[in-house]
Amino acid sequence: MNEYGQKIWTSRLLLIVALGLAVIYLFPLYWMFVTSLKTGSDVFATPPALWPKVPQWSTYAEVWQSKNMARYMGNSLYIATGTMAITAILGTGCAYVLARYRNMWIDIGLFLVLMLQVLPASLMVTPLFVGFNQIGLLELPRTAVILALSAKTMPFFIILVRATFMAVPHELEEAALVDGNSRLGAFWNIVLPLARNGILVSAILIFMQAFGEFVYSKSMIQTSELQPASVGLNSFMGPNTNEWNKIMAFAMMYVMPILGIFILLQRRIVAGLTSGALK
Amino acid sequence: MRALFSSLRDGKGFDISLIAIAMVFLILFSGAPLVYNAIMSFQEVDIFNLGTFIRPWVGLDNYRSLFADPSTLPIFWNTVVFVFSSIAGQFIVGFGLALFFTLKFPGAAYLRGLFLVSWVMPGLVVGAIWNWILSGDFGILNHFLKSVGFISENIFWRSDINYSLWAVIIANIWLGTAFNMILLSVGLAAIPRDVYEAAELDGATAIQRFRTITLPMMRATIGAVVSLGLIFTLQQFDLFAAITSGGPANSSNVAQYKAWEMSFREYDFARGATISVLMIVVVMIASVIYVRSTKQEVRG
Repeated sequence: MNEYGQKIWTSRLLLIVALGLAVIYLFPLYWMFVTSLKTGSDVFATPPALWPKVPQWSTYAEVWQSKNMARYMGNSLYIATGTMAITAILGTGCAYVLARYRNMWIDIGLFLVLMLQVLPASLMVTPLFVGFNQIGLLELPRTAVILALSAKTMPFFIILVRATFMAVPHELEEAALVDGNSRLGAFWNIVLPLARNGILVSAILIFMQAFGEFVYSKSMIQTSELQPASVGLNSFMGPNTNEWNKIMAFAMMYVMPILGIFILLQRRIVAGLTSGALK
Repeated sequence: MRALFSSLRDGKGFDISLIAIAMVFLILFSGAPLVYNAIMSFQEVDIFNLGTFIRPWVGLDNYRSLFADPSTLPIFWNTVVFVFSSIAGQFIVGFGLALFFTLKFPGAAYLRGLFLVSWVMPGLVVGAIWNWILSGDFGILNHFLKSVGFISENIFWRSDINYSLWAVIIANIWLGTAFNMILLSVGLAAIPRDVYEAAELDGATAIQRFRTITLPMMRATIGAVVSLGLIFTLQQFDLFAAITSGGPANSSNVAQYKAWEMSFREYDFARGATISVLMIVVVMIASVIYVRSTKQEVRG
């Protein structure tokens, strides 16, 4: 066998190994899908079947109806959209200024932002709940969650978007200023359009994160009419549940939007994420 | 008035207002709660004085009674086990995968990116899936372990006090491995190829090359990945809520879950705040290490 042929075989072998690794790693997601298609009794069959005899697609419609999923998904969407909007609107300007200058104050600001990024939600929820309760914000529980969550996601957004702004050549903005644009004009017409993709990907990451949020919603939203799907899934599971096919159907429907976004934007998400966390 | 308006549009005021709006928001909803948390940990907080700001000051009593409670130290120890095992597992598996994906074959970048789907999943869904996989009588993991002969009796991952913490650790390793792998891949890609080629010409074995080139050149990346792992692991809450709820008998409870339980299950907000303060200090230290190890990159 010549060297070229050997190379082809090695790369094919590597591809097979890689596919095998991916199959093993992604098996839990497959298992969620398969379990959701089994009947209530097939779920407990030994040995467990890797594919159901007759896929029970009707479970999805049934769970959607009986668990009132439209309402849960609506609340998740509401919280995720609100969080994304506040984070993107307030965070973009801040990231721009942090990227544009280099001095002691900017360093201090960056350090503060990085510090706030790491605060665990389950530890922050105690003072947030007590404080929101005192100022009456818990009367609007979803708004309370959006505000708390935005404060949690904004530092991450600022770090990611700052990296994008750093990549926009400074000369372009200066040229716009020389041409008679105001600072606002140059920012709005030149810098922002050039950074659009990075801002969009970061905003989508925030949306996905907020769509799956649990701690704040669980602690602050008491009425089930206003709870998001994560809290709904949590109450559905209960301690001694045996409706695993239905729980997995619930989970499948819940993650569909996130999976869809991820598959569409996989490459951009991976690139955006790595640029922010390390560079 | 006009000068102010024009400064906002075209001068220093433009930058200052852009940054100030975000900073005021962060101080209001992140900084202030942080301070309030610390204050509450020195107060007596109960359901009756929850609505007022003036509460009896008790000094260090909350901290004293926290450490006098016999369940506290085991929970902190669980936190240490959880953090170290999770980070070690995520890092080792992630590094192995990252090294594998540096090999050249068609679709490598795409397949590698696919792994990250675990990281974008809602934590509660990941917890639900693993809860079911780790189920004692009907879980697929027990079935698999039995059929390959690793175990003869079912392991009750969630309800056996010897395994419950490990149930959450396994799920957390799965959750974080992909993120570790992606970040380590970025670090590996930054090492110049010719260094390896030169070493190979000099007769260095693969293991020698790994020890003398890869590891030293990855130091900054590894530091960042490990401290990020520490930060993310200390944020992990959803998996506990979805798999074991900290039980049975606190055997899988960790500080960040306990703090929440204290506030929202027992309504002992002062105790919840006290644990929070201690953990936030730990997280802050980790983040200083993280900031330092990415300092060059952060400053661009």
